[in-house]
Amino acid sequence: MVNAVKGLYLSCDIPMAQFIINMNASLPQSQKFIIHVLDNTHLFVRSDMAGMIRSAISDFRDANTYEKPA
Amino acid sequence: MGHHGHGDKSRPSKKIKFASKEEYRASTADDDHYYPEEGGDDFRDGEREGKKMDFTKLELKPDHGNRPLWACADGRIFLETFSPLYKQAYDFLIAIAEPVCRPESMHEYNLTPHSLYAAVSVGLETETIIAVLSKLSKTKLPKEMIDFIHASTANYGKVKLVLKKNRYFIESPFPEVLKRLLADEAIGKARISSEGMHGKDGFTVSKPVNEIEGGHDELINEVDVAAAAEEKETHSFEIDPAQVENVKQRCLPNALNYPMMEEYDFRNDTVNPDLDMELKPQAQPRPYQEKSLSKMFGNGRARSGIIVLPCGAGKSLVGVSAASRIKKSCLCLATNAVSVDQWAFQFKLWSTIREEQICRFTSDSKERFRGNVGVVVTTYNMVAFGGKRSEESEKIIEEIRNREWGLLLMDEVHVVPAHMFRKVISITKSHCKLGLTATLVREDERITDLNFLIGPKLYEANWLDLVKGGFIANVQCAEVWCPMTKEFFAEYLKKENSKKRQALYVMNPNKFRACEFLIRFHEQQRGDKIIVFADNLFALTEYAMKLRKPMIYGATSHVERTKILEAFKTSKEVNTIFLSKVGDNSIDIPEANVIIQISSHAGSRRQEAQRLGRILRAKGKHQDRMAGGKEEYNAFFYSLVSTDTQEMYYSTKRQQFLIDQGYSFKVITSLPPSDSGSELSYHRLDEQLQLLGKVLSAGDDAVGLEQLDEDADDVALQKARRYVGSMSAMSGAKGMVYMEYNSGKKGLIKNKPKDPTKRHQLFKKRFG
Repeated sequence: MVNAVKGLYLSCDIPMAQFIINMNASLPQSQKFIIHVLDNTHLFVRSDMAGMIRSAISDFRDANTYEKPA
Repeated sequence: MGHHGHGDKSRPSKKIKFASKEEYRASTADDDHYYPEEGGDDFRDGEREGKKMDFTKLELKPDHGNRPLWACADGRIFLETFSPLYKQAYDFLIAIAEPVCRPESMHEYNLTPHSLYAAVSVGLETETIIAVLSKLSKTKLPKEMIDFIHASTANYGKVKLVLKKNRYFIESPFPEVLKRLLADEAIGKARISSEGMHGKDGFTVSKPVNEIEGGHDELINEVDVAAAAEEKETHSFEIDPAQVENVKQRCLPNALNYPMMEEYDFRNDTVNPDLDMELKPQAQPRPYQEKSLSKMFGNGRARSGIIVLPCGAGKSLVGVSAASRIKKSCLCLATNAVSVDQWAFQFKLWSTIREEQICRFTSDSKERFRGNVGVVVTTYNMVAFGGKRSEESEKIIEEIRNREWGLLLMDEVHVVPAHMFRKVISITKSHCKLGLTATLVREDERITDLNFLIGPKLYEANWLDLVKGGFIANVQCAEVWCPMTKEFFAEYLKKENSKKRQALYVMNPNKFRACEFLIRFHEQQRGDKIIVFADNLFALTEYAMKLRKPMIYGATSHVERTKILEAFKTSKEVNTIFLSKVGDNSIDIPEANVIIQISSHAGSRRQEAQRLGRILRAKGKHQDRMAGGKEEYNAFFYSLVSTDTQEMYYSTKRQQFLIDQGYSFKVITSLPPSDSGSELSYHRLDEQLQLLGKVLSAGDDAVGLEQLDEDADDVALQKARRYVGSMSAMSGAKGMVYMEYNSGKKGLIKNKPKDPTKRHQLFKKRFG
């Protein structure tokens, strides 16, 4: 029996994959969004989560970025 | 000052401007910030809100092409460094304005009340400042700027406190100002009337000595004003020495607002014995050293103030020269015992001072000079220490207290807390104070204190000009991006590892491999001498052990240190040493020309600059170093950063100061190169995992930052607990001094001071 799941294929670098996996792990079971960890740089996730992942990554990067005060 | 992110050099924050007078007074009551912010700079608010960048109203002069600078209504001044008048304009601007950013072709300066105070105190007059500025400016000088200069300089520099033959005089070219001062009850009482109160004003009138040898005279005619200013008659009255502090207090901006400048007429001081010391003939001060000295000795007297020169540019020669000109007893204060030794050495190297006239006073060596005049080199905390001392130190400190010092020479003034200064300055009676520093940046925004406690900034050199002149090394700065490995990053992200984050990003195997690669490259290909800096003691020891290199940290004994440094200097075998932050300041390692920084203290701009300073001392032949010479880059500064971690944030912040001095950082992303690798450590996953296990199993204490307690007085160590770390702050090594106040940002870790004894024990055990 074939079971088809619609999802999003994510390609990223090694640390960002870890970041997403860590984010997924911190969520309660019902909100987990990773369907498969394919390899170090590829993930298969629920298709409705793209925006959330993007904004989480962007927040994370902002926190690590210094901007000179005007 | 509010604890806002930007440095002291930027304009005062809005908060201050909006503060009412009452609030302002309240804040000066605890005498932390004497500086007058009121008056004159209101116009800046408008600029901030609205027409920020609109300069269309500025009127261009027809011959603007020949003039080197742009003056904007908001107090900012831009200087074209390619102008034929650059040198003259630079000399002038550095005297009246704060440098904000000095890249190669265009400098930005900022007029501030501080900078104008400094200008007035080296003898420039309000009208001259305006006249020269308007002559150099491409546009008609904005009215706002003229008003601002008037408002800021109205009272500064009008009154001087002069110590002559051990009598204190208040001097001014303006008798009406003196009258106003005398109207004050406290000052009126402090006055000592010598001859007849009934005279017109009763002021003593005198013609001053001729101004300046060599100082401003390279400047365009109009700039050569200092001389004009001094040709006037001066009026003075004498005050009671016991009342000096009181009178100074009354003159501060929160009272009468005539801040007094202090000058020392050392040539006419017949009370204090002369010290027979000259500069040796081979001590040839360089042009910028001469210039800084001429600002200090401009009118034949010694002015108190601060001279800012990059590390390696020869600050000690400036200090020794100043002492040799004044030729009186000199008290030289350094931050730790190592630099005490170095200062003593510099004095003997550059001057003809006799062995028995110079002595060191530290917890290890308590020397006393014979005779009635000499140089004493000691540390700030030896002098300021408040607890019980050993009998021997007590005697020496008593001598220091009772002596009248011609010169108080203070090294690394940016690291010493204000309360220490106040204490040191109140304990020691000195005629003239000279502060030396490389980086007038403090992460705690306390620069204003220095202005009042020591004096205004007398001179600040331009780093890039010194590089071009071949006076300091031409450094290639690089930031090496090291991606976190999968396993390390997974642990880094875990909440429960928040205290180990630093250890995780420092121990990142990719960083280790980049470091190892760079060490090999520079040792083998170029034969360089390398210093590796790590603030994190865990990382320091892991790296050093793994790579089999010697290391020095806080707990390394003086003997051991000397041995390692000696080997590094002389041995062909020892080309790399690992240093904790004990190496930031003062440890003098002229041989090194490569720095690899694997961990650092958060976002401290000062630390970054100080570390760069370790390799700034120029090496090799002078002509090779000049632009276009054989070796354009002869020094390398690498900062290894683990990407996607907090380190990225800190790293960018740390670089700001150097970027403002005109340095640029090159980003290197693929180190080690992909075709190399197996010969480096941590190539295999199992090795990496073993390392990870080690980091995770180490106690939180062990992976934290090093706390230094070096060079406290011998008894002080026992009292350290009562002072909680202020002892180490004195050595400039404690977190407080670098503390980040940027609380707005998420994800910043405050490093809590930890009990140092515990950690040292651990490392002592491990490394015997």
